[in-house]
Amino acid sequence: MTQTAPSREPTRAPERGVALPEVPGPGETARRAWRWLRRMSTAIWLLFALAAASVVATFVPQEPVIPTTVESWRSGIEGPGTEVSAVFDALGLYDVYGSPWFAAIVVLLFVSLTGCLVPRWRAFLRDARRPPPRGRGLTALRQSTTLRTSLPPEEGLAVVEASLARRRYRRRRLAQEETASGLAQVAAERGRWREGGSLLFHASFYLLLVGIVVAQGFGFVGQVNVAEGQAFTDTRISYDVADPGRFFDLEDHAGFAVRLDAFDLAFFEDGTPERFVSEVTVLEDGEEVRVGEAVAVNERLEHAGMNLYQMRFGMAPRVEVRAGDSDLFADQVMLGQGEGNTWTGVAKVSAADPQIALEILLVPDFARDADGEPISAGPAPGDPRLFANLWVGDLGLERPVPATQFDRDGGQRVDAVELGEGESAALLDGALEVAFPELTMWSGFQVAHQPGRAILLAAGVLVLVGLVPSLYAYRRRIWAEARPVEGGSEVTVAGVALQRVEAFDDAYAELVEELADALDAQHPTSGEPGEEERQG
Amino acid sequence: MAELYDPQLGAASNALFNTALGAYLLAMVGYFFRMAFTKVAEGQTTATRAGRRIGVASTVIASVGVLAHTASIVTRGLAAERVPWANMYEYSSALSLLAVAIGLVVLQRRLGLGHLMGFVLALATTTMAIALMLYTDPGPIVPSLQSYWIRIHVTSAMVASAIFMVAFAATALYLVKDTAERRVAERSGQGFTGSTVGAASVTPGAEVAAGEGAALAEGEAGAAPGAGGDQPDDRLDGDAVEGAGYASPLEQRRVLTAWPFGVVPAAVVGPFTLVVYQAPVAAAVSALVAAAIGLLSRWSVPHLPDAKTLDTLAYRTIAFGFPIWTFAIIAGAVWAEEAWGRFWGWDPKETGSFFTWVLYAAYLHARSTSGWRGRRAAWIGVVSFAALMVTYYVVNLFVVGLHSYAGV
Repeated sequence: MTQTAPSREPTRAPERGVALPEVPGPGETARRAWRWLRRMSTAIWLLFALAAASVVATFVPQEPVIPTTVESWRSGIEGPGTEVSAVFDALGLYDVYGSPWFAAIVVLLFVSLTGCLVPRWRAFLRDARRPPPRGRGLTALRQSTTLRTSLPPEEGLAVVEASLARRRYRRRRLAQEETASGLAQVAAERGRWREGGSLLFHASFYLLLVGIVVAQGFGFVGQVNVAEGQAFTDTRISYDVADPGRFFDLEDHAGFAVRLDAFDLAFFEDGTPERFVSEVTVLEDGEEVRVGEAVAVNERLEHAGMNLYQMRFGMAPRVEVRAGDSDLFADQVMLGQGEGNTWTGVAKVSAADPQIALEILLVPDFARDADGEPISAGPAPGDPRLFANLWVGDLGLERPVPATQFDRDGGQRVDAVELGEGESAALLDGALEVAFPELTMWSGFQVAHQPGRAILLAAGVLVLVGLVPSLYAYRRRIWAEARPVEGGSEVTVAGVALQRVEAFDDAYAELVEELADALDAQHPTSGEPGEEERQG
Repeated sequence: MAELYDPQLGAASNALFNTALGAYLLAMVGYFFRMAFTKVAEGQTTATRAGRRIGVASTVIASVGVLAHTASIVTRGLAAERVPWANMYEYSSALSLLAVAIGLVVLQRRLGLGHLMGFVLALATTTMAIALMLYTDPGPIVPSLQSYWIRIHVTSAMVASAIFMVAFAATALYLVKDTAERRVAERSGQGFTGSTVGAASVTPGAEVAAGEGAALAEGEAGAAPGAGGDQPDDRLDGDAVEGAGYASPLEQRRVLTAWPFGVVPAAVVGPFTLVVYQAPVAAAVSALVAAAIGLLSRWSVPHLPDAKTLDTLAYRTIAFGFPIWTFAIIAGAVWAEEAWGRFWGWDPKETGSFFTWVLYAAYLHARSTSGWRGRRAAWIGVVSFAALMVTYYVVNLFVVGLHSYAGV
């Protein structure tokens, strides 16, 4: 390493020369693989592979993120076509982050990281206990200065040591018989945080991995839509979508209930939502424990280890269907966003025989465009109008199909109706009565249990804490020796930096200036050698 | 309903934006002229009197531009009563302001590399021109962006991007300069192995000859983070740069074939614009601009600081931007966790910022690995910046994800 450093005493083993650790395993192949994995080149290629995988996952839709788009790529509605799509599927490109080859990249990266870090940690810990190395031939160093002072050698060195102490150098005093020059010496060193920071930065990724594993394994994410006035319970079956971690069991749900009391929605003039807030009450065993809590984007609600997030919202007109005296249907129909500002959905009246379905289009603020087609004047409910197509027949409502689907082939459209809020109408010559008593809203929540949060946050903080010194700190050493001369002593100061030489030069000049003042020295005789002039 | 924004302030902001853009363009021309009025001698460059005057004038004009630009962003914020970098127009505007400010303060003032300002301004004005194509009136922001995290997450991402932009200028110019230096050395029959940077950058004894770039050079390459097994020993002797001398600086221009400098940037930028904006005219114009900048970079080769200085500048800027980018990603994860209930969901914007991060990390590793240091590392730097641009433009405009509403 430091061929020209004054010290002949290597303070850390040169990395290149480190003997490979004994590798257990089946012989030369494993040893070679291990050697290959430990190479920095390999790590760089693995980083490229990781980046490439992410690029692919950015432009190819990912099933866990947007399953509907993946479906339409597979069926050829969108994307490059079914044949390419089949290749994508075979390669796992629709779920890059869940694919075995992605896992392989990550595992290899961590193996490579481990292979790289273990010897470095060992060397670092060994060096940390070592005192700053002895200096030799101080005047030959690039940065070397001799100061004349009236102080005796011991006191001169004490001044230097005090200055170095203020600069937070680790210091070591060497007696005369310990040095090559036969003079007492102060040896000082700083900047271990460069290597230490780098090690910490890299080690934080293990913690990050632990955090991810904990979050994935013991966490839970569920989504549920609920209409105003309704409630959902924190049990597995009440979620529309549930993604529990491997170790999150059914009984880990707290079982509380959340009732959506009201949904507050406001828009800006241009139709962008200004705010949407769910007002909820939390119930435990039927008792209201938290009343009038607000859940909004960027404002979650935490209860019993579960976090409630505002995700979506929509309109949920209350619809009633009656046949004579019997109520066939009375519920809020949660609609999805349609074109423009309209909302669409289906009310499935499975109690009726034959089955009835109402295909609903809701216009929140009714108006007509130039062609007389119904449109909505804005996104906010003003004059809501409900249009419904009445389907009758064997609609397959008993089958588990998505909420907006039913078997259109099994029945037929027999009538249509248009209702304002609070209106009702008779259909099929009075056989059926359909009513739209009020417009309510529904709110979509994400409910999550995230146990790894603290670990992940700690890992994130450590990444930064390690990263900054690893890029900015630099290792440097300073030595000082004092030679007794007539009427005082000559203090020789010298230093080297292993990185950021330019920054060190400035710091060194500052130190010398301070020492010259403190030692009350005459103009320092700088020992700046002419190495840089060598070039011309 | 309240008015969406103050139209007078909005108009003032736009006028100031145009003023800034005009000032930058003028200053950019000035900086390139300054370069033309620079005598090139062996190993160093000296501006003639006219050159210095033009240089001072350019600096003044660019500074006025920075003031106008700052005022534009402030009035925009006042007009909309919110953080003025919440959509792509605003973000691009603030990004280019930061790049110019970093250029003026760090490159020109602190490091004495005013020569590079023409290129920084070229990148900044290009970003501003793109911003104009994405213009939207100052308006309110959707609830998911109404959080103090927008100041933390978006601002840090923006600052890092601006730094990476300056770094890109240094990286690309390094590659040009290094090629020129190598070719000159090869032609003059000097044995020249590998990059000028390889050994030189870890050689503290060699840095002072770098002319105006001297304030900058330092032996950074020694031990960047993760400098693991392959890290060469830190060298403290000064015997490595013998080969860097060259016959005539102007020779450096002659050894570079001209056409690739026009064709390659045009071939990259033109199609990119066509894909992103679907506007053939804009694509043609941007291809021409890219070609012009590319040819200018060839033309300015003799005037540039030496390859080692540029490489060190590139490294230091990237090393400065990287922790900020890291912070931006972590802050984004914390915000995502607060707003959406998951810290990381492989949303396209998240993956984009991730692969950008990974590539810059690869750059930093490469920079401290023998066999990679120098040109190979620089190419990774170029690719990383391309990744940043893809993450910003392509992902925002093309790929549907949770960050989409932050788009145009």
